[in-house]
Amino acid sequence: MIPDGRTPVFVVTGFLGSGKTTLVNRLIATPGFLDSLVVVNEFGEVPVDHHLLQAAEERAVALPNGCLCCHLRGDLEETLIGAAMRRRRGEIAGFDRVIVETSGLADPGPVAQTLYADRALERDFKLGPIVTVVDAADADLGLEVAKSQITAADVIVLSKIDRSPDFSGVENQVRALNPHARYIPARFGDVDPALLEKSGTDHVFSPVAHHDRGIRTFVLKFDAPPRKDLLERFLALLVELRGADLLRVKGIVGLDGGEHVAVQGVRHVFDRLRPIENRPSTGLVFITRNMAELDVQALWQAMSSLKGAS
Amino acid sequence: MFLNMKLLSHHGLNGFGGMGEGMSMQLARDGRRILWLAHESAPKNFTAVDVSDPRAPKVVVQTDLPHAQMRSNSLEVAGDLMAVAYQVTKFGLKPAGFELFDVSVPESPRSIAFFDASGPHSRGCHQLWFVDGKTVHMACADPEQKPRNPKDDQVYRIVDVSTPTKPRAVGRWHLPGTMEGDDAPPPERLPGKFDAGFRAHNTNVYPQRPDRCYLGYIDGGIMVIDISDPSRPKLVSRWANSPPYNGFNHTVLPLFERGLIVVSDESVKDNAGDWPKLVWILDGRDERHLVSIGTLPMPPVDAFKGRGGRYGAHNLHENPPVPGAWKSENIVLGTFFNGGVRAYDISDPYSPREIAYFVPEAPEGSKIGAVQINDVFVDDRGIVFTVDRHNGGLYALEMKV
Repeated sequence: MIPDGRTPVFVVTGFLGSGKTTLVNRLIATPGFLDSLVVVNEFGEVPVDHHLLQAAEERAVALPNGCLCCHLRGDLEETLIGAAMRRRRGEIAGFDRVIVETSGLADPGPVAQTLYADRALERDFKLGPIVTVVDAADADLGLEVAKSQITAADVIVLSKIDRSPDFSGVENQVRALNPHARYIPARFGDVDPALLEKSGTDHVFSPVAHHDRGIRTFVLKFDAPPRKDLLERFLALLVELRGADLLRVKGIVGLDGGEHVAVQGVRHVFDRLRPIENRPSTGLVFITRNMAELDVQALWQAMSSLKGAS
Repeated sequence: MFLNMKLLSHHGLNGFGGMGEGMSMQLARDGRRILWLAHESAPKNFTAVDVSDPRAPKVVVQTDLPHAQMRSNSLEVAGDLMAVAYQVTKFGLKPAGFELFDVSVPESPRSIAFFDASGPHSRGCHQLWFVDGKTVHMACADPEQKPRNPKDDQVYRIVDVSTPTKPRAVGRWHLPGTMEGDDAPPPERLPGKFDAGFRAHNTNVYPQRPDRCYLGYIDGGIMVIDISDPSRPKLVSRWANSPPYNGFNHTVLPLFERGLIVVSDESVKDNAGDWPKLVWILDGRDERHLVSIGTLPMPPVDAFKGRGGRYGAHNLHENPPVPGAWKSENIVLGTFFNGGVRAYDISDPYSPREIAYFVPEAPEGSKIGAVQINDVFVDDRGIVFTVDRHNGGLYALEMKV
């Protein structure tokens, strides 16, 4: 077994006013999440002692419950590398996970891309679940950024269900955009943290095909276990041709040597194929924009055939 | 400070929490897991802790030394037998050697034999290895020999205890040139402030290679010793890093399936005064030609050297070939004094990565204001047990990697 000591980065996203901060505050108050590093865009939304804040300036601030809080100045890469360096030097106590609360207008894709694409960052961190909070009472799903947030999600928290007891309409609309995520209805951010922990990079979308409003979801199954190098080239070619439209690609693939690898990608950037043990193959689940399932299957078929003929 | 390690419990060992480098687990007949711990210095000899529930450790027995000018420091349990090292502070004092106990009833250790190694040029036994119930391999003075330099008194010795009541010395080895009467010239010593001696420290022997001892030899480097004839140990190879480094090679951990050998130095000066003290990875595929291929990446020395006490490498979890012990060829755990206990992924030995650590707060009553994590033992449940050298006692940790 190859041990993995990297710290997961949870990305909490959602449109303005959807309940992200409520969710983060509830999470970090639960015993299992006490040792979290919270990265926020603005202090004041999490319960930071402002006297501490002035003293610490840009440094991580210890919250009363044992968590740490960081203000995202500059870019996420700089913030996370700085946190890892301070942890390594013993300047901050430590943290089991990072929770990045994005701004309401942010597309979570670039956050995932940061974690996959930066090799320095990748030594210490790995992408955890992308959690998208959707206001069950007042969701505006017509905005592009809202769609991006939903399609990228591993977990969708339907918030404020106390205000909207019948949220099935919103849920159906959201499921039409992303049928693979785990759905959690919540009042006041009361989400079981264990469900989030289990929804990290190891969680694989359920293989269900769907399409709606240009956004398609489908599963690419492999007739025979593919060669690793061919799979890598296939993914690289897809990225080169249509990276912007690969909203999410995820799955566990059994390779021809018997090894199983996790595939994780958001738009232009894919994590390296990581060995994963004791998990069945799922094929590759795609969430795409204006990309036909048949085209992707044809590309793979063509590459497989040409490989066999050479 | 932590990364992927969580504190399950901390026990101050009844106010006697200054622990040495002897940690050994007994799977008792009644099903309990008893962790036996050697104390670093007087007045206590050893302490047994029931760690069946690592969240609620319980001291089951704690014993005293006969006097204050000695220490046990090292012990090992094999089945119901325990060997405890005795080292004295001045040459000629007694008891110097090791004592064997029947620990079948952990609450009542019963002395069954004593191996005497005292003499005018002896400080007795500093460290021992006892995993098969039949043979003690140890770093101990031999009264029949007189070292040219008094710092070189402890040699590698092999003692047959297959009849536990009658320990019998069967073999010994020392670096040629260190004893009176040797043909070889005396070895060139390290500069005065780093001159710790050419003598044995850890003496590991594993069932995968029962004909080899992996020997740390302080300022002399490390040795692979052929003990196929235990009465005539022979040098197979030697790897040394000092000079230019500052000596005190401590533990030699072979990883047989991977052809690797992990070597730890010991930091013995406060404030990293003998930096760098590191953990080295050797390519050991050809035991005659050991090649250093890397070191474990410790945190920056400037961030730790001023925290109090020592900072640098010391003991490793040694994959002891006994029931109840965790074994890994991919993860190496070591202790680093005020740097705590740290775990490294060496699946790529050319690029080892730190994957977990725990640095306790300064123990209550610490005179130096920092912990001094001294030794580590990991059991087959994956529970990491580690001890403080001065007064912190025992820490039980869960490693999450």
